[in-house]
Amino acid sequence: MISATSASELYNLRPAREVMKLERLGSMFASRLSFVRSLMRKMITERWQIVNTVFDLDAKGHGLAIYRIKTPANCYHCVIFSRDLTPEQRSDRVIAEAWDVTFAVVEGEVENSLLEQMAANVPLQEAGRQHPRVLVLSRANKSLRNFSQFIGALAAGRQPDPAWLTAVGYLYRTTAVYGNGKFGIADFARLERNPDFNRPFAAQMLAVYVLRQFSIDQLNHLAKVQSPEQATTLHPELERYLGIGNSTGLGMAPFLINHPQLIQQWVYGRERALAYARQEAATEQTHAKLQELMARALKHLQQTQTEDREQALRNQETARSVTETIDWLDRTPAHPGLYEELITWARGHCSLEAQELINTMLIELYPNLVDKLDDELGCHESMDLQPDMKAKQLKSLIDQKFSWALSYREDCPDDNYWFWYRSVEKEEPRLGVRGAESGAEKETALAIGPRISRCHAKLEQFLAQNPNAMVVEFLLAHPEQKECVRRIQTMGETPYGEIRANLWHRDMKPMHLLRTKLSFFGASRFDPKSDRWVRITLFQGAPRPCELTNPERSLEQLDDWGFPLEPQLDNNNLILQGKVT
Amino acid sequence: MKVSFNELQGLSRKAFIAIGFDEGDANDAADMVAWMEAHGLDGIAALRKGLDFLLNEDKSQPPELIYQDADLCVVDAQHKTVLGHASLAVELGYAKCRARGLSVTKIRHCHNRMLIVGYLSRIARRNMSVTAFWRNSHEPLTEILVSFKSGEAEPEICMYGLPSTPDDTEPNDGITLVMVNHVDLLPDLKPDAPPNDLIRQNREAMADWHERSLVEGIEVDPELWERLKLLATRMLVEASDDSRQGAGAGTNDND
Repeated sequence: MISATSASELYNLRPAREVMKLERLGSMFASRLSFVRSLMRKMITERWQIVNTVFDLDAKGHGLAIYRIKTPANCYHCVIFSRDLTPEQRSDRVIAEAWDVTFAVVEGEVENSLLEQMAANVPLQEAGRQHPRVLVLSRANKSLRNFSQFIGALAAGRQPDPAWLTAVGYLYRTTAVYGNGKFGIADFARLERNPDFNRPFAAQMLAVYVLRQFSIDQLNHLAKVQSPEQATTLHPELERYLGIGNSTGLGMAPFLINHPQLIQQWVYGRERALAYARQEAATEQTHAKLQELMARALKHLQQTQTEDREQALRNQETARSVTETIDWLDRTPAHPGLYEELITWARGHCSLEAQELINTMLIELYPNLVDKLDDELGCHESMDLQPDMKAKQLKSLIDQKFSWALSYREDCPDDNYWFWYRSVEKEEPRLGVRGAESGAEKETALAIGPRISRCHAKLEQFLAQNPNAMVVEFLLAHPEQKECVRRIQTMGETPYGEIRANLWHRDMKPMHLLRTKLSFFGASRFDPKSDRWVRITLFQGAPRPCELTNPERSLEQLDDWGFPLEPQLDNNNLILQGKVT
Repeated sequence: MKVSFNELQGLSRKAFIAIGFDEGDANDAADMVAWMEAHGLDGIAALRKGLDFLLNEDKSQPPELIYQDADLCVVDAQHKTVLGHASLAVELGYAKCRARGLSVTKIRHCHNRMLIVGYLSRIARRNMSVTAFWRNSHEPLTEILVSFKSGEAEPEICMYGLPSTPDDTEPNDGITLVMVNHVDLLPDLKPDAPPNDLIRQNREAMADWHERSLVEGIEVDPELWERLKLLATRMLVEASDDSRQGAGAGTNDND
């Protein structure tokens, strides 16, 4: 595992003052470096085998299913418990206590004793004590609308309308996917040396991917139960177009703030990928490919539906910008400096989302340059003091690298509007209005900008009396600044140290934080349900498990599944094809 | 009950914040406890032993620097646990060693001294060799020597009883740290005077223990675990209808 990269290794990178603005981070799209894409490439390249070994579901689809995952060196199992859930219990929030399915990925074989232990604890999720061989713990709720429509169609011998999946791209949505030691499961430190899962969130993404296959198998099972003679199975094109949803909220924010070295590594990886692409001379071939990718993205955006007015407007604006981009590409022939010209043009003509979409597509053009970065998105996280640094040097560091934080005003109500906290209800992260809601005295220290600003003020006062002091002497006078100083010293050496926003500010949009993390996961179809709660889709368009081992499909073919489009299927034809498994 | 390393670290951190530690100290203290336990050095037992004391100590008074020159510093921890600000005394020694090649740091009047080993592992990680020495004053008189080679993840530890009690009226509640920048100082017990009841813990054993704790989890006393959880809830905000809106989601997802 590598350490967080220091600024000495700079390439032709975009500056942090541009990239790390929250609004821009919140405009990013999934790219070929996103974790779902990276995992799929690994599974395709290494021909992972995912097969169902236990499928003990009753007529209502409740019971146990187990999937075996075989990698070149290891074997894992995904154990899934499906149960009846009353409507009043179905909530995507962390405060829920029961779910339609609960599941876990476990290392090695599932012997009876382990299965018994899991059956007693996995359905309880946070309230259970999980086995240390469990790598991932998760749960999911049904999309009731899709479930009933899909079963009805298949039971009647018809394929479901693909438009249903365009509206809601999944049958299940996960509501938490736990890794790294939560509730007794294996620490990430244990996976760091495991080549199968040493990339960030790789094990979690595998769990989600296997759930996708379960949702298909359960669907086919229920249709068959309902109409044994007439039922058909889901068409492969629709299987591919079916993803897994995820419902998420403010819990994304603490992770982003509490893992700055990891976030820096993700952003640095993406920015390096972009820098590599920008250095390349466009050819007729890449020009044509870029046009094709932009056209696909445009259609994907036009098909994306959301009830959220703000996101709908953003989508429309992005689609408009992408249309203009396609026009621009049509009238601008390939030449060596095409990409730089496009980026400059887009900066003046396109929305932030469209600018980032163009960047995503430039990255997509160069797998040979970019895919090697898959293994550089993790890092060993440790923040250490540099106690012998001169205090005045620390002040200079803040002035140079963290000037964005110094605009914070202690006495300005807008700068102090929000506070972040955890509720006694299952520690759910929440956002309150300072002065209007109780709990500010217990707030979580997420607003890094104000903290740096306060540290800077104390440092100035200290330096007036102690101009030659070391940082450790400043800390002996102000020990409460230790964590902030450690963070400044550590992140000050990295190219993309911190998200540049005051998370207390009245105008701060939590949705940007959510989207930042979700874009690295590889999320699509952003569908906000409020200003701090969003549903997204993962793996929509991804190859099916049976395709991973198909020697007739190349990596290039299988890997090209970003920005999926609604399948254009002939219903009559589907009825016939659907009989074929 | 078994917990993971991350759980132990995370819950300890929350509990330390809840009892009044600053964030940096809470992080360091949690790291120390978890590191010690994961390496077979009884971090949890030390925490259990010191928890009541921690709950009642005055967190507002930082350690006092009572003497320093270029190579040497003496810090008075004011009868507090090393889990608190003692890390700054260690950092002061580190800074002096970086400048001078060798430093001596004396931390006076501190409790839970064994836990400092967890912080010294960080010093070693930062390419500094560090040796800690202290005496337990209870009978039999015991000396403890902990030495990290520069860059090593685990130390050598020697603990031995002394055959006779010296005539010493000073309370034995300090630690002496020697840091060196360019060589390693390791304990080399005198062959002609073997100390009593020698316990020697080597790096390999600690590395094995660490590996095992990752695979099998870490055993903790359920009572202590519940106590830490209870402490941690102090930082959670009571629920209300308003606060439930603060998560930004409805309570039902039957769509």
